[in-house]
Amino acid sequence: MNMDKPIRRVAIFGLLLFFGLMAQVNYVQGSQADNLRTDARNSRQYSDLFNSPRGTISAGGEVLVSSTETHKDNPKYGRSYKDGPVFAPVTGYFNGNATQVERAYNSLLGGKDKRITQQRWFDTFIGKKAEGANLELTINPRAQRVAYEKLKGQTQEGRRGGAVVIDVRTGAVQVAASWPSFDPNEIAPQTGDKGVKRLNELDGATGVIKPLVDNALSQTFPPGSSFKAVTSAVGMQDLNVNSSTTVNTGQLILPESGRPLPNSHDSGSCAGSAPLKGAFAESCNTSFAKMALDLGIQQLHDGAEKFGFGKRVNLEPDFPAAKSEVPVSVQDASGKTIPTGKDGTARSGIGQENVRATPLQMAMVAAAIANKGKIMNPYVVQKARAKDQSELYNASPKLFGQAMTGDQASQLEDMMRAVVSEGTAKNLQSANIAGKTGTAEQGQGIPNSRWFVGFGPFDNPRYAFAVITEGPGDGATNAGPVAAAIMAQVLKK
Amino acid sequence: MSSIGAQIRAHLPYQRRNAASFALLIFAMVLTLSAFAEVGLARDGYIPKGLFLYGGGLVVLAFGAYFVQAKFAPYADPLLLPLSVALNGIGLAMIYRLDLDTSEDHRVAAAAGKKLLKDAADAPGQLMWTFVGIGLFVTAIVIMRDTDKPDAPLSFTPKTAQRYTYLIGLGAIILLLLPIVPGIGAEINGARVWIALGPFSVQPGEFAKLLLVVFFAGYLVNKRQAMSLIGKKIGPFSLPRARDLGPILVIWFFCLGVLFMQKDLGTALLFFGLFVSMLYIATQRLSWVMIGMGLLAVGVFVATLLPFMGHVNQRIDIWQNPKPYFDGGCLLESGKVVPVNPDTDIFKKYKAKGSVSPGFSACAELGGEYSDSAQLMKGLFALGQGGVLGTGLGQGEPWRTPLSFSDFIFDSLGEELGLTGLMVLLLVYALIVQRGMKTAVAARDPFLKLFAGGVSFVLGLQVFVIVGGVTRLIPLTGLTTPFLSQGGSSLMANWILIAILVRMSHDARKPAPQAIQDEGMTQIVSTR
Repeated sequence: MNMDKPIRRVAIFGLLLFFGLMAQVNYVQGSQADNLRTDARNSRQYSDLFNSPRGTISAGGEVLVSSTETHKDNPKYGRSYKDGPVFAPVTGYFNGNATQVERAYNSLLGGKDKRITQQRWFDTFIGKKAEGANLELTINPRAQRVAYEKLKGQTQEGRRGGAVVIDVRTGAVQVAASWPSFDPNEIAPQTGDKGVKRLNELDGATGVIKPLVDNALSQTFPPGSSFKAVTSAVGMQDLNVNSSTTVNTGQLILPESGRPLPNSHDSGSCAGSAPLKGAFAESCNTSFAKMALDLGIQQLHDGAEKFGFGKRVNLEPDFPAAKSEVPVSVQDASGKTIPTGKDGTARSGIGQENVRATPLQMAMVAAAIANKGKIMNPYVVQKARAKDQSELYNASPKLFGQAMTGDQASQLEDMMRAVVSEGTAKNLQSANIAGKTGTAEQGQGIPNSRWFVGFGPFDNPRYAFAVITEGPGDGATNAGPVAAAIMAQVLKK
Repeated sequence: MSSIGAQIRAHLPYQRRNAASFALLIFAMVLTLSAFAEVGLARDGYIPKGLFLYGGGLVVLAFGAYFVQAKFAPYADPLLLPLSVALNGIGLAMIYRLDLDTSEDHRVAAAAGKKLLKDAADAPGQLMWTFVGIGLFVTAIVIMRDTDKPDAPLSFTPKTAQRYTYLIGLGAIILLLLPIVPGIGAEINGARVWIALGPFSVQPGEFAKLLLVVFFAGYLVNKRQAMSLIGKKIGPFSLPRARDLGPILVIWFFCLGVLFMQKDLGTALLFFGLFVSMLYIATQRLSWVMIGMGLLAVGVFVATLLPFMGHVNQRIDIWQNPKPYFDGGCLLESGKVVPVNPDTDIFKKYKAKGSVSPGFSACAELGGEYSDSAQLMKGLFALGQGGVLGTGLGQGEPWRTPLSFSDFIFDSLGEELGLTGLMVLLLVYALIVQRGMKTAVAARDPFLKLFAGGVSFVLGLQVFVIVGGVTRLIPLTGLTTPFLSQGGSSLMANWILIAILVRMSHDARKPAPQAIQDEGMTQIVSTR
């Protein structure tokens, strides 16, 4: 009996084993390599992070964030932030982990993005590290600085303030400022253990101020009367009212508690009845609370969703803003669902109760009004260029949604102008802006959140803004001037 | 039609291919020396002093081996020696690269009294074992010098081994049992496969592998006719008589039992594959391969049920889904995996209590089986880092993987040499195995055929089990990577294996004896 045949078969089987190994090695090192390199558990990528410079982040031709050589082994490169606290709400920080743009564009900045590696495929093939791409932000650095300084000046000690300006035609964010802020330089890679300690300190803040959470995009506040713009828009669509419809501005008794809902004043338009425009200009609470009651909370909630309420607005991939809400129901601490009742609905109509919005969200509301009802998706990164200046990415404006008709938008535009020309914000008549004031109560012993939400220039709106500061007093005198100063800088040629 | 072996023999050139072997050996040396030079240049910035010691030592040894082979086995297969030298050299260079004591920076830092990472890579030790291994190769070639006169004094040929089949089988068992004998056995890295011999630890399993091949070959060659021809037919399977299959099954169960007790699953798998393949070669019964596979499945199933074999379960689970186990995972009764890595609260709790192994204690509280996939995952990360062309020798970070110099040396090489390098290494292994198989086919004696076939297959299977394990093709079990891994036993056993193949290939390829003179009608009868 001859054994050659089985030996040959075993030899072939042996070859198959080796083919199996070769296929697996090809699979792991060829197609899986990228996933393995970026696996969260892979500590190599973190040590690797500091070995090569990241791309720069600039705005308005000014380099804001750049990598700097440390002349040390680890980290080889640090990160330096020009006017760190001013731009932190947009740039975020980088220390291995990252936030905001540093996070959203991590792969481009770090040179690991496919758009770079494919373009530089030969470098990748021979294992040469591709260099990180440089980003250009949509931010107007001078206006951003003004916003930061003004917020700092107008916000009550120990409280918060935020400002957002967006280009209504494109959605490009011009300003996203927060007070207080933090300095990313303090926690950059070169700071070592001290930076880690500082980051834990910032992260562990327990009071009302959480420095790592910016007050422009990532924090919500009760919008107060500035929300009446949304209520009006939903009313125009669902209740068939317009700016000249006569509405009741007199007393309103809340249906459940039987208590009256107060107006800030009972003179002028708020004396009993007035056209909607007048009620809006003088911010008569009762008319809008009534409108909300007529709509019902579900309809108000659904209408607000067209403006972006109810979901996280994505500025960039992996860079969402906080969620603004007009809740139909809320959950209490024990997890019980409490529906928003009639009284709650009335108060929701004037931006109180459980209604909360980010400054970004309110700026989007103003943008819809200023742009014929169209909201463009807000974004912060305009361009990404490789080291050789070739363009890797250029933001193209995207439609976020149509919040109302063009006609409704132009009526609301007029109503906002009326606020400044004859209503609650007459103090801003010289500022070439229009908008809606808001003064929201945040509870006993807590300062008001004071808003001014609108657009500029007054006649042909180009930019929408939202400013909030916390402190005593009203929106017109405490947020209005901040908006005026920022817009003056934005509109400066 | 004549057999394939006869056809091959008919076409064999019966030429000495020593020049080819020499040229290939020079190529293997250039490869090794370049590897050392690159490690030095990349890591320290200059050609390392070690190049002369390590490279030079290897050159002298390899050429020594070559001349012995050329003298005593001139018709030997020209590829086996150079390929083995190349593998050994690359492994040595990698271990040299991983042994930080050979780095100048490290020496300077140590002299300055800095605290340094401890590493267990031991380049001088590996060099010494390479000396011993190649020394054994030379000795084996010399001792097995004359297969024509098996009775000559001090001549022990592969064929001689056939006479001692049962003694050798007994020897294999004793070798396997040694590590569990108290006093000389030692447990290293969780497997009790070592014995302490003075300052050295030896893995007797590596040698038992060779002895077992001899035993299987010797036994099967006698019984194969009986086994395949006499027997009961049950359905599609024909079973041999118990008295034919009995001894081999006893030995086989014994081996596997011992290995399971030692938790050395890799070797168990290796022996099992060896047994099945040799049984197939001897009897040509595919149905028996099926039965063998069935036995394996039953074995694995039983192993997962036994409480003390829980780690078998886990090996398989880690293989399928390693991520939850990273830095410590806990497999619960329900089959759910709960991470107990240092980021988890339960780990921190036991850490705070001062537990020696917090993850393990945490898992005990949860009532599950603790395991850790960090090794495997880190090995894969190394492969990912390497990509297609690798980082270059001395320029990666292979030391991040635990056991980067032994079980995971293939991943370390994958990081620095890349996919390209690994494909070359696999091709080299495949070539050695195929040359061995060719030797088996060309051999004239049935015992030698089985012997050569078994030895070649066991080498290939060992590469498959360990390389498949570290690349996550199959569940990871510990085995050495032949010629690459750090470790004396493995090097010695594999060099002996190559010596046996070299000797057998010489015998198979040398010309048949010729008539001294024309003796008219007298017929020359070859006894082989």
